[in-house]
Amino acid sequence: MWRNMLALRQISQRTINTASRRQYVNRVSENQKLFQEDNGLPVHLKGGAKDSLLYRATTGLTVFGTMYALYYLLVSSMPKKPN
Amino acid sequence: MAHQAHSYHMVDPSPWPILGASAALLTTSGLTMWFHFHSPYLLIMGLTSTALVMLQWWRDVVRESTFQGHHTPTVQKGLRYGMVLFITSEAFFFLGFFWAFFHSSLAPTPELGGQWPPVGIKPLNPMEVPLLNTAILLASGVTVTWAHHSITEARRKQAIFALTLTVLLGFYFTALQAMEYYEAPFSIADGVYGSTFFVATGFHGLHVIIGSTFLSVCLLRLIKYHFTSNHHFGFEAAAWYWHFVDVVWLFLYIAIYWWGS
Repeated sequence: MWRNMLALRQISQRTINTASRRQYVNRVSENQKLFQEDNGLPVHLKGGAKDSLLYRATTGLTVFGTMYALYYLLVSSMPKKPN
Repeated sequence: MAHQAHSYHMVDPSPWPILGASAALLTTSGLTMWFHFHSPYLLIMGLTSTALVMLQWWRDVVRESTFQGHHTPTVQKGLRYGMVLFITSEAFFFLGFFWAFFHSSLAPTPELGGQWPPVGIKPLNPMEVPLLNTAILLASGVTVTWAHHSITEARRKQAIFALTLTVLLGFYFTALQAMEYYEAPFSIADGVYGSTFFVATGFHGLHVIIGSTFLSVCLLRLIKYHFTSNHHFGFEAAAWYWHFVDVVWLFLYIAIYWWGS
């Protein structure tokens, strides 16, 4: 049922044929093939190495920032020592 | 691959919700660090991580819909409900600021000189740049509708032209409003007039920027052939949001700029 629905989607996508050269090539079907590959990868990593890099950078920044925030929360919760 | 016996979308496990929540933590605690301890680093980390999460989460939605075909009519219906409810919540958000404006302006206190605009405030002339801004947003409402019709009629070049015009008009509004903010003879610190004016118009301006960004992403997707003449909900959601931004401006213009002067 899914394959029929997907095929229907591809047929209904009308590409307008013009005599002049199109500036942007329609890469939707290539992307459809890439993201429907049966490789068990979740969608946020299915695009390849770039996805993993971006994911790791985001996670790294967020985890570091969370620890930074918790540290400063603890520091600012402590009373300042008088001289 | 197992096939499902329903038309809903069971999403892949995703890190974006929890990372988005953490990004919100960093942003809010970052604001505190900036306000109270003059340190901007946590805020910068928060804003950066928020942007990264948004980018990747919405990228994944495009992958799930355009590339994997998960957005069945049932799923699309849910998305429509979601967008309507979100815009409704935004309407209530602005309602609060309009309430604050009318609270102070309908019965101006003796501290303000018993008048509105208060004594000492020189309001902006509603017939100058604010009127131009009104015309710009109304025109952009026309162009976005033109773009929509072009998409449903599969007229690619016209759709791209109309949507580009819409985005440019949005940027023009923002530029003019920024200039107005710079040139205004009053500031946010000028009593309740300044507060109500800049908070209401400021949040509106932020929504114009968000709407323009959403439309720009749609323009990019339109150029990349993501939309079909029957299925282009991302664009419709952006258009709804844009019309909402336009309507809020009309209320702002009539109440704050015009009546309020």
